[in-house]
Amino acid sequence: MKKLLAILLAMTMVMALVACGGNQSNDTPPAQDQTQDTPGDSAPADGGEITLWTYPIGDWGKEEKVKAITDAFTADTGITVKVEYLAYADGDDKVNSAITANAAPDLIMEGPERLVTNWGDKGYLVDLSDMFDDTDKSEINAAAMAACTHSNGAVYEYPLVVTAHCMAINLNAFKEAGADQYLDLEKHTWTTENFIKAVDALYAHFNAPVGAVYCKGQGGDQGTRALVNNLYGGTFATASHDKYTWDDPLNIKALEQLKSMPGIAFDASLEGGDEIKVFYQGILKMAFCWNIAQQLNPNLADTGAGLTANGEEIVFMGFPSESGTPALQGGIWGFGVFDNGDPAKVDNAKTFIKWMCDSEHTVDAVKTANYFAARSAAEGTDLSDIWADNEIMNEYQVLMPYLGDYYQVTKGWAGARTEWWTMLQKVGEGADIASTVATYAGNANANAG
Amino acid sequence: MKIENGRSRAYKIASVMILIILAFLFTFPLYWIVTGAFKNGADINAPKPIWVPTEWVMNNFNKLMKQRSVPLWEIYLPFGSFFNGGKKILLTAGPDAPAAIRWLINAVLMSAMAMLLTCLTAAMAGYALAKKRFNGRALLFSLIVCAMALPKQVILIPLLKEMSALHLYDSLWAVIFPTVGWPFGVFLMKQFSESIPGEILEAARIDGSSEWNTFSTVVMPMIKPGIGALAIFTFINCWNDYFMQLVMLASGSNYTMPLGIATLQAETSVDNGLLMAGAALAAAPIITVFLIFQKYFTQGITMGAVKG
Amino acid sequence: MARQPTRTMSRALQRRENISGYLFLLPSLIFFLGFVVVPMIICIITSLTDANMHDAGMFGNFIGFSNFSRLWSDETFLEALKNTFIIVIVSVPAVCAFSLWVSSAIYKLSGPVLSAFRCIFYLPVVTGSVAVTVVWKWMYDNYTGIFNHVLKGAGLIEQNINWTGDSRYALWCIILILFTTSVGQPIVLYVSALGNVDQTLVEAAEVDGATSFQVFWKVKWAQMMPTTLYILVITTINSFQCFALIQLLTKGGAGTNTVMYHIYWTAFKLTEQAGHFGYANAMGVVLAIFIGLLSALQFKLAKEK
Repeated sequence: MKKLLAILLAMTMVMALVACGGNQSNDTPPAQDQTQDTPGDSAPADGGEITLWTYPIGDWGKEEKVKAITDAFTADTGITVKVEYLAYADGDDKVNSAITANAAPDLIMEGPERLVTNWGDKGYLVDLSDMFDDTDKSEINAAAMAACTHSNGAVYEYPLVVTAHCMAINLNAFKEAGADQYLDLEKHTWTTENFIKAVDALYAHFNAPVGAVYCKGQGGDQGTRALVNNLYGGTFATASHDKYTWDDPLNIKALEQLKSMPGIAFDASLEGGDEIKVFYQGILKMAFCWNIAQQLNPNLADTGAGLTANGEEIVFMGFPSESGTPALQGGIWGFGVFDNGDPAKVDNAKTFIKWMCDSEHTVDAVKTANYFAARSAAEGTDLSDIWADNEIMNEYQVLMPYLGDYYQVTKGWAGARTEWWTMLQKVGEGADIASTVATYAGNANANAG
Repeated sequence: MKIENGRSRAYKIASVMILIILAFLFTFPLYWIVTGAFKNGADINAPKPIWVPTEWVMNNFNKLMKQRSVPLWEIYLPFGSFFNGGKKILLTAGPDAPAAIRWLINAVLMSAMAMLLTCLTAAMAGYALAKKRFNGRALLFSLIVCAMALPKQVILIPLLKEMSALHLYDSLWAVIFPTVGWPFGVFLMKQFSESIPGEILEAARIDGSSEWNTFSTVVMPMIKPGIGALAIFTFINCWNDYFMQLVMLASGSNYTMPLGIATLQAETSVDNGLLMAGAALAAAPIITVFLIFQKYFTQGITMGAVKG
Repeated sequence: MARQPTRTMSRALQRRENISGYLFLLPSLIFFLGFVVVPMIICIITSLTDANMHDAGMFGNFIGFSNFSRLWSDETFLEALKNTFIIVIVSVPAVCAFSLWVSSAIYKLSGPVLSAFRCIFYLPVVTGSVAVTVVWKWMYDNYTGIFNHVLKGAGLIEQNINWTGDSRYALWCIILILFTTSVGQPIVLYVSALGNVDQTLVEAAEVDGATSFQVFWKVKWAQMMPTTLYILVITTINSFQCFALIQLLTKGGAGTNTVMYHIYWTAFKLTEQAGHFGYANAMGVVLAIFIGLLSALQFKLAKEK
């Protein structure tokens, strides 16, 4: 027994060494790490290390792609980058627990709804306004710049890429059901009337729901919001972004319409990502959670870009609206810098941002994201036609003019999202639509205020 | 009499049938994990379930291995962060390897460490609670009983801040220590130690054996089956403690297998094949441990309860 | 609870017992106090404040019991509380009854068969909660899950049932998974308890003309009481550990929110709400009080038997 105890104790000691020791933040100076820095003339020999947490923004969620670009950055500047990959499902919780534990990353890549409205607003992020000179301001898309700027004038996000969120349809299924006549495949838009007819035709043909208003959680909720808003022209928030207006009668009308359609299911077992899966499998005939990155993504069965798992053709579409001109939800993604009390880290992080968002390397950073550049040119490199050789990207440009208001920066956004999907679940269960919408929109406004 | 027999025979046959169906239902999820892990993309994405894979492929495991890469091991100077302004001092790091392998290593290390610490501390504490008549014993025991069912979510925020203050956030210790602190082990070991006859302890004392000697040479051998049971318990519990892993571990190199799988599910809920491969890898170690120690385990848990 | 030894201990002896007792307890107490009791105390203090993530310090401003009064009018919380109790109240007796039945059906089987059955019922536990949840999620899937496929194939349902997305089923789906991961240990325990029942008492009862039901109820059940109580305790503990199931399956939607999950959600999702840490801690305190009462009740029952 003594021997056993001695072994136990010995193992304890060994493991104390082996397993990770204490760790306040992730920033480990590479003590014995053979870093592959090949310091250039201007770069210091050891540029230090910064951590970047990134949400899956196009291929910025894929290690092989991100590693290529951060390695190039390290080679250039001597600064090593430690990347962690967040998921939309629990990424916010991870960042929030890290903040609580005083272990926030140095850099974070996401959109203004988190960087500006949430973490920036609460004072966790560094004001980046000194990084923008007049040239930058003229090059960067004005709407993106506005969304990245807090009402107090501070800029908490340096925008890298933008896109428009849209929806997608399974063209083979539409043709089979004779519903392709309702689509404008040239302009990629359709009217509410045609959408309803198409869904009815599809339902009559397949005898099962063909589209899902997914509401398991907040993942991909821009799709359900855009669908409801566009159908009869309702709004989600005021233009001044201080109040939620989704109890608009036009939205209630849209929800009532959707609920009444047997071809549309309110599905609380799906989030945006799940919906895409079911769409890829050919079960749902339309997906409301879509954008160009999905369109370019060769799907799981490796059938190639723009095809479902059994090789049917996917066509991206704007959301249906009465006039046929949708107001699409924008996506703006870029970098924010957490203030961890170390000026050297902040400087390194800014170097990183400058390198990625405003240099000759911006082309690669943008292409990694699979979206459009947030600016027309960067330090003399023209960015407006970087996708000229990509047919799908080129075609997708037709949707960009439909970009609507970026209302995700309305106060109390995180809470409002919870209210939104909870409301959809209740509507799906058959609760009275008008009063349910009023209740949850009221909650969202109460939280915001 | 005859009718009675006939009826009980019918009951027996029915119950055997139900048992077989139940056995099937209980093994099915595992079957579905294993087959799912080896299915090809077409089988996985088929709208209708494919009961037996049309071909067995390693594709999903290959994909899993290619997801991320992290150093195979990293050894830090213990408590180094206290002298280095909150930064860990890295002694040596291994070559880059697929993250799934590191996650497995982390999970095994974490659970084994929690197991060792729990067994040692709980055996001592359980013995003291059962056999020592110290002041405050009743109060302490009530406290332990009340805290036993407490889910960790209750103390989530203070615990997170505490781990941050101890420089333990984002390290496996942040999961290990609360597991060791969970008083169920003490309760279990107390139940075991109750059965140690007082005379034996008395005899040892009269022989001049020191307290520690009595514990290690007399008590320990007697509660060995209990320790075996507690060991497996703690290992499984720590492994399954997804919540603490989710909250406390932040960097990919510190993830454990269960957390890694859950993260993969969050990122790519699209790919069931990949998830099943991960689930299979996550399940394999504990199933193996269980099958090896199964006999010991059965013995151990039964003894603890019957004496309750 | 501490039975006073029959002979009164001398002062010196008592001191000796105190020192050695606490020395043996010390390693365990460090962890128990450090990582359970102290956080619990902080939790209680914080629950009386408006602490939130954005504060520099640990505590916000003292606001008395207003977090608690807010809880009683918070419908989401009340629903979560209700669901938590449904889970406990359903799963604990179901696990006990089911494992008792299975054990009585298998305990007389020959060695290898018995141990095979024991292993099978233990499999879901050792597969690991995350792996189990991930596979069940796929099995429950609305569109490609095997449940809908089988039920439709058998003609029992017409339309797919949205198992985890429909509030009529979702909570039961979670209880079912929890159930399969909870019965393993009780079965092992009951099998051995049944094997240990004093046969002379059983025979005596049979001679007296007792029916097999009476034999079971009056003789065997009575002897298995300690086992049953122990099973009640561990199953209750288990029922409160359903966080992974909810996080990975429904995220608290479709009527499956529990207090355990809602604490996490309030703490790390609703970070814009003022005083959300204090509020989450208040939920924790309410839950802890209920659990403490439940445990006390169980142990009081145990003492009486």
